[in-house]
Amino acid sequence: MPDLGVACSTIAAGVLLGGMLALTALGLSIVLGVMRLVNLAHGEFLLVGAYAGLFFLQFTGIDPLLGLPVIALFLAVFAIPLYRLLLQPLAERGPEAQMMTMFAVSIILQNVFVLAFSADTRSIARDYATLPLTVGPITVPLIYLIGFAISVAAVLVVHWLVSRTAFGRDLRASAADPEAAATIGVDVKSVRTLTFALGAACAGVGGTLIGAAFQFGPSSGAAYLLNSLAIVVLGGLGNVLGTLVGGIALGALQSLGGLALGDGYRDLVGMALFLLVLAFRPDGFLARGRA
Amino acid sequence: MSAPPLLEVSGLSKRYGGLVAIDHLDLSAPAGAITGVIGPNGAGKSTLIGLIGGALAPSAGTIRLDGKDVTRLPASERARAGIGRTYQIPRPFLDMTVEENLEVAQYSIAPFIGAAAAREEREALLVRTGLADAAALPARALPLLRRKRLEVARALALKPRLLLLDEVGAGLVDSEIDELIALIQSILDKSTAIVIVEHVIRIVRECCARSLVLNFGKRLIEGPTSEILANDQVAAVYLGTGGAHRKAATGAETSRADGAIHVAAPAEERRKLAPLVAPAADSKEPILELRNVAAGYGQARVLKGVSLALAEGEAIAILGANGAGKTTLARVICGAVAPSAGILRIGGRAAGLAPHRVAALGVAHCMEGRRIFSSLSVEENLRIAARGADAATARQRLEAVYDLFPVLFERKAQVGTSLSGGQQQMLAIARALMARPRLVIFDEISLGLAPVIMDKLYEALAQLKQARMTLILIEQDVDRALALADRAYVLEQGVFALSGAARDIAADPRLRRVYMGAA
Amino acid sequence: MKRRGTIGAAAEVAIIFAAAAALWIAPNFAGDYWLQIGFRTLIYLALAEGWNLMAGSAGLVSLGASCFVGLGAYIAFGVLNKLDAPLPLALAAAGLGGGALAALVSPALFRLRGLYFTVGTLALAELLRLTMINVSAFGGATGIFLKNDPPDLPILFRYALAVALLASLAMTFCARSRASVILRAVRDDEDAAAQMGVRPFRVKLAAFVLASAVAAMAGGVQAVKLGAIEPYGMFGLQWSIDVLTMAIIGGVGLRLGPLVGAVFVIALGEALADYPEAHVAIAGVILIVLIRFAPRGVVGFVANPALVLRRPAPA
Repeated sequence: MPDLGVACSTIAAGVLLGGMLALTALGLSIVLGVMRLVNLAHGEFLLVGAYAGLFFLQFTGIDPLLGLPVIALFLAVFAIPLYRLLLQPLAERGPEAQMMTMFAVSIILQNVFVLAFSADTRSIARDYATLPLTVGPITVPLIYLIGFAISVAAVLVVHWLVSRTAFGRDLRASAADPEAAATIGVDVKSVRTLTFALGAACAGVGGTLIGAAFQFGPSSGAAYLLNSLAIVVLGGLGNVLGTLVGGIALGALQSLGGLALGDGYRDLVGMALFLLVLAFRPDGFLARGRA
Repeated sequence: MSAPPLLEVSGLSKRYGGLVAIDHLDLSAPAGAITGVIGPNGAGKSTLIGLIGGALAPSAGTIRLDGKDVTRLPASERARAGIGRTYQIPRPFLDMTVEENLEVAQYSIAPFIGAAAAREEREALLVRTGLADAAALPARALPLLRRKRLEVARALALKPRLLLLDEVGAGLVDSEIDELIALIQSILDKSTAIVIVEHVIRIVRECCARSLVLNFGKRLIEGPTSEILANDQVAAVYLGTGGAHRKAATGAETSRADGAIHVAAPAEERRKLAPLVAPAADSKEPILELRNVAAGYGQARVLKGVSLALAEGEAIAILGANGAGKTTLARVICGAVAPSAGILRIGGRAAGLAPHRVAALGVAHCMEGRRIFSSLSVEENLRIAARGADAATARQRLEAVYDLFPVLFERKAQVGTSLSGGQQQMLAIARALMARPRLVIFDEISLGLAPVIMDKLYEALAQLKQARMTLILIEQDVDRALALADRAYVLEQGVFALSGAARDIAADPRLRRVYMGAA
Repeated sequence: MKRRGTIGAAAEVAIIFAAAAALWIAPNFAGDYWLQIGFRTLIYLALAEGWNLMAGSAGLVSLGASCFVGLGAYIAFGVLNKLDAPLPLALAAAGLGGGALAALVSPALFRLRGLYFTVGTLALAELLRLTMINVSAFGGATGIFLKNDPPDLPILFRYALAVALLASLAMTFCARSRASVILRAVRDDEDAAAQMGVRPFRVKLAAFVLASAVAAMAGGVQAVKLGAIEPYGMFGLQWSIDVLTMAIIGGVGLRLGPLVGAVFVIALGEALADYPEAHVAIAGVILIVLIRFAPRGVVGFVANPALVLRRPAPA
């Protein structure tokens, strides 16, 4: 039976980590909700954010956490031509063509990472990142708390954006009924492009946080893709606050799994949970029905 | 005592949340006869076919085939039990040949049928349905009528006891309808029952011994076809509930209507509606012009050459039976469907624009089926339509629509689709007005609204017309539309069969023929 | 019923057997290098045929190849190590295991349509990989070794050939027999197919089980050749990625797609052997170009360039 302090710390760490993962999953969720697009390159978008944070630090000396808005902008700017060139022309063709294209982008990006940055694992090393924060019996790395706080803030900002602004209205309308939205005057193409850019920006910021907290390498993307998918499923497609809840739930369950079964089982628990939810929540999905 | 009918439907209901599509319906179809099911748009005809065929699961009721209860069986088992159906919009397996399409059905019910026997069966079927020369063609290459024949052939390959034909007459010209009627009559035999769901009344008249009329998902009346089609009540259901057919509204109904839609005295109302009506452009150009416009979807040619010109401030009605092309016309004007021929001009500008740009030109389309956004609240549904308006202007417009439709104000924070059907219709209309349009297309707004509420609504539309808003009314409710409009156009099989001043059209005996078929 | 330009079923089977016979005797003449390449191509071919069966016929796009390859590998080793059984038996067990797992997960998996199915297969593969890493009975992260020495390359080549032959024959059967119209009906329009009496669940199940059994057998042969297996290699997503790449490049749903795809990918790998890092990126670029301009793959393009360069005709 693990010591109570360790147990609480592990769970707390899990919750905080889950909050960070929620931000990374957010991008995937809104893109899926608005455009029915499973971005298989999502994990690699995260890594772009992580590498961007790393080099931001190296070249400017400024803490990447302060440079997050720049990184977000960078990802958005990177994503827009990608969408216009590669995905937009396939918009009429059904979800598989776009999904496969993102799959191809994912393998290209992985390769580019190896070529440009070598296959070594990296991490955005900041001295304070590993400082432990102790509150009572609970000890967690400081960076987890910072990352969690930033994540929650970002999620709330996106939530505000989606539920209170005109752009958010357009986004939700395009998700519900693109044809009616166009008739009302919404430029659906534009909305989709911006949504994709927003999704990429979220992924990038999440990636920088992950990069500050953990090591990463060119092939780390796949695991994060699957985690993100699990969170999206748990939280509900396109549901911004739900993603936060889903992330925290996943993080907590992962740590519980790790505590109960052993550290290697963390990811396993996550995957098993994902499959269970997929299997038993068929109504939670927008099946590609042909009525 | 004769044997029970082959098909027996009892107490069948289908609900989608709050919406009742089919309401405790009883229907029976005997073997050896063709039974017709008719009714206005939205009555539930295709839902009924989906329920009997197995594509939809009923919320209540039973379906019996030859005495056996098939209610819980999925579509594949019903097909194997002997129910064959066609689809309203043909969906053959496009990448397979005509013959292969039939093979699917054959091998499903008899996987080990001998190759020679199967081939003979297919040849016979193809000959019967007039497709013998197309056996090796991919289904994708077939024009619409032949695809409909393929649908029938494919259903027949199942050797069905019950054949369900879902609006096979839609989109066909007279000569094609002749052929179709001949085909239907030839496939009838003693042991098979055929149920035809149709809005081409001619087919029903010539094929069906008995018919049933559906309205709002309920059975209105049932009996021998000739009697049904001569019945005034049935005519009212199709042509509208306005004018002399209307029974006097009760006090309770009137006050409910007053609460739902608030129309003040003319001068005051005009003032209230002012924020919603775009100022007149005083231009010599017609606000909308179509010249010989043709359009369709893939194989189906829906509009075959329509022309009209609309000046600012005019109100016109577009009438016609279902499938005639009314909604396609609306979609062409709004840019959702590109015309395959002809010229379309909006405010003098050539069209060819994407829908959101057409909206920016001042064209609002209150779409058929309302299309309320389920992810937005009532107020958000309204605000999203006020594109480019600053906060103060948007507020002004909101106040105007809330004044007109108080119920929307009451429910402004609720999810748009949680409103009742009638309330959603009001929301859709209000949403169109929020854009302060120059031209509004109202597409089938009378669906789902009680007559008394419709009266109030049309009062409001009259005020809008007084305020010089240009209106296009696409309506099933012929009487009301003609009372409001200046001019009317009647679409029949993709062209304007009748056009002229509204009161002339209203008096024209040919109008009833367009809807009810030749007497 | 034949269409102009295609060959009869009997002829196709004859060609497959003739090719197999020719390849069977190849080890007597060919050097090790070519046998290695041939081996990899045959394994890939088997996997691609199975994938094509699922996707091209029944409409199921799977990213779960790794799942069954790995499973087959571990089952084969288990049978060989624990039971001292001969290799054919081990492979048969692997095939059975793969089919059984497919049957087990299909009720849940098939509730997911379209891209959710694809995501589900990905998750399944990952789940199995993580399980294998953690469960020490299966060797954990270090994996397990084959007790006895693996057979020589020529023999393994012939085993690979046998599995590929099996896969090709299965594909021919599905593409040429009555099953073909049923499968294509499910792919084209599942609901209309149901209305014609087809039971889509059973059809998809059959395709899935068959493809998974073949993948498992291929995994078994690959594992034996390696002599030692561990979760990252055998359950790694690389298998799923490679299969998908081959299928798209060759042409989804086309009979020759898997062969062309497998040869293409192996050839690309060899051509870029000096630049191993670039090879994946180039494959990715090729994929993007193909998806956009030649959605029916190389085979589809060659068969009818005009057809695929035009925008798809409306239905």
